[in-house]
Amino acid sequence: MKVLQALSTSTGSKILVALTGLAMVGFLVGHLAGNLLALFGPDIYNEYSHALISNPLLVPVEIGLVAILVMHMGTAVRMVLRARQARPTRYAVKKWAGGASRKSVASTSMIVTGVLILLFLISHLWTFKYGAWYTDPTTGYRDLYTLLVEVFRSPFNVVFYVICMLLVGMHLRHGISSAFQSLGLMPRSWTARILRAGAALALILGIGFALIPIYVYFVL
Amino acid sequence: MRIHLRIWRQNGPTDQGRFENHTVESVSPDMSFLEMLDTLNETLIRQGQEPVAFDSDCREGICGTCGFLVDGQPHGPDPCTTVCQLHMRRFKDGDHLTLEPWRAKAFPVLRDLVVDRSAFDRIIQAGGYTSVNTGGAPDGNAVPIAKQTAEAAFDSAQCIGCGACVAACKNASAVLFTSAKVTHMALLPQGQVERHTRVLNMVARMDLEGFGPCSNEGECEAVCPKGISLANIATLNREWWKATLLK
Ligand code: FES
Repeated sequence: MKVLQALSTSTGSKILVALTGLAMVGFLVGHLAGNLLALFGPDIYNEYSHALISNPLLVPVEIGLVAILVMHMGTAVRMVLRARQARPTRYAVKKWAGGASRKSVASTSMIVTGVLILLFLISHLWTFKYGAWYTDPTTGYRDLYTLLVEVFRSPFNVVFYVICMLLVGMHLRHGISSAFQSLGLMPRSWTARILRAGAALALILGIGFALIPIYVYFVL
Repeated sequence: MRIHLRIWRQNGPTDQGRFENHTVESVSPDMSFLEMLDTLNETLIRQGQEPVAFDSDCREGICGTCGFLVDGQPHGPDPCTTVCQLHMRRFKDGDHLTLEPWRAKAFPVLRDLVVDRSAFDRIIQAGGYTSVNTGGAPDGNAVPIAKQTAEAAFDSAQCIGCGACVAACKNASAVLFTSAKVTHMALLPQGQVERHTRVLNMVARMDLEGFGPCSNEGECEAVCPKGISLANIATLNREWWKATLLK
């Protein structure tokens, strides 16, 4: 009860969004590393995906991830609503301050990119996790590689995925360093480095994920 | 110079308010922005009209009484400058400027460009003090404080409570103001006794007053006339979770 009360304050909410956000960034790093195995051919990729699918820990981890996602979104939406209430009358003229400000297109559109990423996530799970089930005749494992190649034969899917990865990159461009600020892990002497590292990781994740559909379409 | 102003006029807290256009003639570039408004008000009074209400006191950028938006920027376009220290040489002859009060649920407009900032006082009352009875004035340097610590505490203590941070924030968040006070006190030995309750109570009060949450954008720092850094907010966040865990 006390924890819930603490987490519902404005500062507690920020910390919750930061922790859940960083947890998902951790997931994305792992997910990207796994995905990149596709560049090494079907055997290794299917081997890896089989190891994941057959792991008994998969379901509890998935439940955990969904819980993290729900907490992240729920808290973020509540904060947006609270912010709306905090300024009932809008300014007639309002300019960005510039200078020391970290305000960017990414930081102003977090809720929009967030909602779009959620929609993408649903379609992504639908396409892959719950998509067509091919079986590798030699190993008997699920042949996700064939599905991957099939999906990204379509230029529509490639463009869709690349755009969505751009949104993910944008969301993380503000999100990663912002999480460190929210957790108070941003000493003055490290601020510039954390801001740069956050943007760099966002770029790596965005480009890394976008690379796979492009690779499949153009190279395979 | 001639300056065209579009000023927010509101007769009282319950009035709807509207913009009114005025032109100020023969403005000297050496005038401060408030002196230019004084000139306008003298003309308005002479014409039997209501003068434009705005707050000011020291007019030298140290008290935090003045403040409104000049063309969408709290305290106007100059960095680290209060509107009383903004000068007309910053503008050009024939410029059109929109003047608006701070807008936040927690800062209701009282009249024209004047808002009620007593919410800030109540945040301070919630914890921005030390209740250690110190007796008479202690000898200087009786409590040794490292030079860097004293400097850092002073950087935070510079906040003049003008409210520009709230005005600039898209969420009307008061966390830069609150964090400056929390950081200032957390750095000094006198602030240690109430260190944990202070941050918890001040954050709770801030929420109760209806200020929004922080999005870590830092518009507040960029418009702050005292250049209070976002690092203060990071400190507040850290102080807050430490206090929550230790409570
Ligand atoms: S009137 Fe005192 S700071 Fe402007």
